[in-house]
Amino acid sequence: MLKAVYYINQFYAGIGGEAMADVGLSCEEGAKGPAMAAEAQWGEEMKVVRTIICGDNYVNTDTKYEAMLGELRQRILEVQPDVFVAGPAFNAGRYGVACAKVCDYVRRELGIPAVTAMWWENPAIGMYGKDNYIFPTTETAAGMRKSMPPMAKFALKLARKEEIGPARTEGYFRTGHRYNEYHEKTGAERVVEMLLDKLNGRPYTTEVPLRGFEQVAAAPKVTELNEAVVALITTGGLVPVGNPDKLKQAFADNYGKYDISNLDSLDKGVYESIHGGYDTTDASNDPHRLVPLDQMRELEREGVIKSVFPYFYTLCGVGTNVENSKEMGQRIAADLKKSGVTAALLTST
Amino acid sequence: MPKMKKELTRQYFDVKDAKFGEKTAFENGVLTIAKEELKEEVSSLMQAVSEIDFEIVRPGENCRIIHLLDTIQPMIKTDGEGQQYSGFFGDPVMAGTGTTNVLNGFTVMESAALPWDESSASSGLLYPRDAIMDMTGPIAGITPFSQTVNLVILYQLTEDKSSVEYDNEIRMIGIKISTYLAGFTKGLEPDSREVFSVDEVNPELPNVVLVWQCQNQGPYSNTYLYGQPIDDMVPTLLHPNDMLDGCVVSGNYVWPAFKVPTYLHVNHPILLELYRKHGKELNFRGVIFCRSHNPSNWHKTRCANIGVKIAQYLDADGLIMAWEGGGNAATDGMLTIQCAEKHGIKASTITFEFGGVDGTEGILLVDDVPEADAICSGGSIEKPYVIPDVERVVGGDTFRLNKESGGFFPPSDKSLRFEQTTHFYLGGNQSGASTLFAEAY
Repeated sequence: MLKAVYYINQFYAGIGGEAMADVGLSCEEGAKGPAMAAEAQWGEEMKVVRTIICGDNYVNTDTKYEAMLGELRQRILEVQPDVFVAGPAFNAGRYGVACAKVCDYVRRELGIPAVTAMWWENPAIGMYGKDNYIFPTTETAAGMRKSMPPMAKFALKLARKEEIGPARTEGYFRTGHRYNEYHEKTGAERVVEMLLDKLNGRPYTTEVPLRGFEQVAAAPKVTELNEAVVALITTGGLVPVGNPDKLKQAFADNYGKYDISNLDSLDKGVYESIHGGYDTTDASNDPHRLVPLDQMRELEREGVIKSVFPYFYTLCGVGTNVENSKEMGQRIAADLKKSGVTAALLTST
Repeated sequence: MPKMKKELTRQYFDVKDAKFGEKTAFENGVLTIAKEELKEEVSSLMQAVSEIDFEIVRPGENCRIIHLLDTIQPMIKTDGEGQQYSGFFGDPVMAGTGTTNVLNGFTVMESAALPWDESSASSGLLYPRDAIMDMTGPIAGITPFSQTVNLVILYQLTEDKSSVEYDNEIRMIGIKISTYLAGFTKGLEPDSREVFSVDEVNPELPNVVLVWQCQNQGPYSNTYLYGQPIDDMVPTLLHPNDMLDGCVVSGNYVWPAFKVPTYLHVNHPILLELYRKHGKELNFRGVIFCRSHNPSNWHKTRCANIGVKIAQYLDADGLIMAWEGGGNAATDGMLTIQCAEKHGIKASTITFEFGGVDGTEGILLVDDVPEADAICSGGSIEKPYVIPDVERVVGGDTFRLNKESGGFFPPSDKSLRFEQTTHFYLGGNQSGASTLFAEAY
């Protein structure tokens, strides 16, 4: 008989909801809660030998998680399971992350195949989907009965050490791993078929996944420039010489904000570019190539604009992931709004 | 009474085998080829080419072909306006009607080591890269020509000619030889016939066009329309039968994986698939033909807009975007998709992808737009392959690789590991000929 270890959170273990999310690791022999539903799919071939329970907050707190890994490892290894199963987590963010995080650990560190399941928008998929098998579920636990069988059947397949097929036949979320193979149809047949599906309103799946673009609406036009307080922002990596805040040269995760209220120019030797993605010689020789303070001061004197905002913002725009970019952008925008800035000049390289 | 009536009958003569002999003949599906006759046929063309020889390569053979330039579909028009590969040996009269005899399952291939000297078109990155194909083994499925009987023309070049002269002459000789061989089908009964017409339009079915965008960057990376390079061309409308009769000819040798040989312009897999579904699931309304590698965003935008305008004139509901070439061409293609979708024309496309060894490194496409939501994979070029030892190599004793880093010339019959598929003939599957794709795990 094959053996599974099953992971669930405090809620599905019947300990309690949000108020009990801080409880630590505990174990029950045999199947508990959703584990029973999974077991029902396996007949006599596989049993849940142990259910591991942990509060969502506990497993999502780094220090506590690190501290519990030893016990988790021991609790799993001592029953020598053929597969590790977690969830389904549906649309619960922290539970989803807990399931995926623990599956990732078990697969990577203990060498035991693992699977979990959740709603497609669960943030855990973006965090752990690349290397782990995660199955789709309905949005809420109301769909438990529908969501459980595909994951449970796949768990049995993992336990049997069967060869695992591609996402489109097995049903798990695409991991991002892609390998050249020969399809049963030619590219020409598929590209025509896909267009016809699209034209006829039938479902189709793009073989090359979309990157998930987000539409950003353009800011409204500045109508009264002479009333504008203009902020200067650059992704060209201009910083005071010596890079006092130790901004990263690439893969930025923070930005700098520097006082220019008493300056009419940004001088060579006082400011420099630390950008890791281009030859910074010209920019460091004349920092105005990145942040045109000299010209802006002139416009200010002429009354074309009301004033230059007393700080400029800077970071190195190279290799920065979209999530960090969004987060920094939102912080900068909030700061600008709070400070009464009405227009901004963004200079790139 | 419709103004245009354009019907083409292709008569297929299945070539089961080919062999060399004293006298060229086509009998019972066996093509006997007399080398001396072929040499005589093209002797007046030979200025930049000093010598030619021939090899026959058959499906299933433990054989590799290298230094591959173009592959041609031998065919001859026996009835109707214009001629096969119209514009090359005569006026560019519109073909696409009447009858054309096709040597089915048979190709004429060109193999030559074009000079790599810095004074020629080979300077820089647009040099002829060694195109490699195997008839059996792990990379055989990448190219359709592992399934055809191939007559390979081996060219020896004279010295001190220009790139344009080598290029033109190699192509003219290839076309002439293919035509000569196809001529032996005249008066014979074909194995099968196929009639091609898009004259009938069923108002119940969606209208679909193919946008076929081809490389145009100068000698060695060019495409010909009715005999002339497509330099500075804006999108134009072709009847699918124009392409079946060879109005588009390849002169592209730069990226073996991304180039599309003449054989596949003439037997364009997507065009043929659209024909198969014409009148059943869609109305095939035509081919919008354009150049890729438009030099600036301005040119790319103009190309996309004119292409989509033609599609609108054709009342297109859907459009298939396909291109020859790599990153630059992908941007042209993506802009066309974006423009089409913004004008209410739905689009799908096929392209090679990147993604590194396991598919998770970097981004998959050079360029994409949010509107491109129906993309077929032609396989990833960033996959390592080991090609095996082979018994026979046609084209040369050594590969010609890595010009950028001084050149690498290992023996061509020995096993070799490639980190990418860029040297494999049709490795990018840009015209959808093969079943190669990147499977998502």
